[in-house]
Amino acid sequence: MATFDVELIDIVKEFESGGARVRAVDRVSVAIEDGEFFALLGPSGCGKTTTLRLIAGFEQPTSGQVLIRGRAMEGIPAYHRPVNTVFQDYALFPHLSVEQNVMFGLEMEGVDKKAARKRAGEALEKVRLPGVGERKPHQLSGGQQQRVALARALVKQPAVLLLDEPLGALDLKLRKSMQYELKALQRDVGITFIYVTHDQEEAITMADRIAVMSEGVMLQVGTPKEIYERPQTHFVADFIGETNFIPGALLGRDADGYGRVKLADGTVIRARLSHALGNAASAVSVAIRPERIGITPLGPPDGSGGRHTPLDDVTVLDAVVTGSQYIGTDTRYTLALGGEAELVARLQNTAERNAALQSGQRVKVYWKDSSATALDH
Amino acid sequence: MLINEGAMGRNRRIRRLGQAGLWLNPMVAYFFLWAPILVLVLFSFNSSRSVASFSGFTLKWYSNILNNVMGAESAFSTAIMLNAFRNSLFVGTVATAISTVLGTMIALAMARGKFPGKRLIDGLLFLPVVIPEITQAISLAIFFKVAFDWFALLSGERVFPGFHTIIAAHVTFNISYVAIVARARLADMNPRLEEAANDLGANPWRAFWRVTFPLILPGVISGALLAFTLSLDDFVITFFTSGVGTTTLPVFVYGLLKLTVTPEVNAISTIMMLISTLLIGISLAMQGRAASRV
Repeated sequence: MATFDVELIDIVKEFESGGARVRAVDRVSVAIEDGEFFALLGPSGCGKTTTLRLIAGFEQPTSGQVLIRGRAMEGIPAYHRPVNTVFQDYALFPHLSVEQNVMFGLEMEGVDKKAARKRAGEALEKVRLPGVGERKPHQLSGGQQQRVALARALVKQPAVLLLDEPLGALDLKLRKSMQYELKALQRDVGITFIYVTHDQEEAITMADRIAVMSEGVMLQVGTPKEIYERPQTHFVADFIGETNFIPGALLGRDADGYGRVKLADGTVIRARLSHALGNAASAVSVAIRPERIGITPLGPPDGSGGRHTPLDDVTVLDAVVTGSQYIGTDTRYTLALGGEAELVARLQNTAERNAALQSGQRVKVYWKDSSATALDH
Repeated sequence: MLINEGAMGRNRRIRRLGQAGLWLNPMVAYFFLWAPILVLVLFSFNSSRSVASFSGFTLKWYSNILNNVMGAESAFSTAIMLNAFRNSLFVGTVATAISTVLGTMIALAMARGKFPGKRLIDGLLFLPVVIPEITQAISLAIFFKVAFDWFALLSGERVFPGFHTIIAAHVTFNISYVAIVARARLADMNPRLEEAANDLGANPWRAFWRVTFPLILPGVISGALLAFTLSLDDFVITFFTSGVGTTTLPVFVYGLLKLTVTPEVNAISTIMMLISTLLIGISLAMQGRAASRV
């Protein structure tokens, strides 16, 4: 029964805003597994925090169901749900000491003071913050407050821990180290984490699975690798990492899940078809990551360039280098394809490849067809 | 070094003049504000009975009011004065207790509730602060009269004004002050704190007593002190709603004035002012401390 910790079934949440009804969450369905680190990723206002608040019980869905460990949560208030939240601004009780903050949830459960104090101490040790129990929250640094908020939620041993941009207020360096620590902590305690963030890098490095949201809709759910390498929509491809979009017209669909796309200059290339692409779609974008593109300079006229022998599963196109930018490990090239399409490619600066390509140089660009995805325009 | 020393000196002079002006400005303003009160306090220590000149320091007027002496008049009684003071404390305490509970409840409803007409009620909260005191006093006097007439008609019993009417009247204006101060405090409070308490298993009742109330308590106490001070000081509304044997200290002082302004009246006024200032000082300090804690 309890294979899923949290299930959202066709959730809709509408808010009244100046007489108009605004849909903050639009028909979201997802099942989150026990022990999973699940990230809700999207720009601000995409509905990710509202989704979290629906699970916590701070908001009630307009329609649809929230199930926690198979139990319908309708009519169950926040204080009876087996979930705990780490708030974005931590929301530590300013009038209570750190220890009293951590003990608060246990006190509400009726745990006796001695046992509660012991468990609070253990929780503070778990988040590597021993010996500050007597202090008030405002006497701690932002990073320390963050740990107290974590300890306060974890001490309740919830089925699910909800985290609302918990690292948002920390500086970059601290954020990086907390990312690893949080991930290690999650493995250690084995509790399901639902983690709201607008930082795609954070989601990719920490999560087992990511749900990308935009305008209340859950566009794609998948592992970080799937999300990064197989984006199914223009928005997802664009939001996560850098992507080239080459406009084209879909000519036909092949049986192997690939499609033939005609580019502006008439060239026909093959690319994976997005599952989200409608059957009637004809105008598409071919999405390809900059690091998946290879470049070979055109060799001498005798054709000894080597690599650009046409292969079945490789796309090779003519291009002109329009600019280059040295960025340490890589060099970032901008290229012009035929038909005014622009392309960005990133080549690693290896020992063999230290001679930079020159602006205006004619080259061949190539990529494996499996690296390219045809998705909505 | 080719710096124009003359220009530098001129700039420095102008800046010094500006500084002096900035200092002078509040001094003049405060002088207008405090000069009359200063005169009152000063003459409560004047050894001469005349207000024409200050002829030396004395505490005899203060000792007079405690020893049944008041100038040439023999009508003054320390016992009556102390009784009036006790009445003031009684009215102030009861009115403050009632208005603090009601005012805090209104503040909570305003800050957390969602109901139609909320903005109207919010605006009405400021009404007792802005409408003339005399208007409120007369309206209350008429209201009590009408209410008691109706009561007499229905039950056959005649009710007369007394402490209950003064207290009810004081509650009406005190509620606003308590609600406004407590409301400001609630507005400063992070609404996530109540959610965090709920999240950790506290139902709304426990969340209120464990989180919300301790955090707004400084505001509530501050509002209560303000209300108590206003009650102690109030003359107009008390005058219009009091009955027999309910003379409060300000009403008593007014009675003395009908005879003549004496240094003893100055002394009583000075003591009243000191008590009020002290209470308001504590109230402001509570608000300041509260603000720094959030």
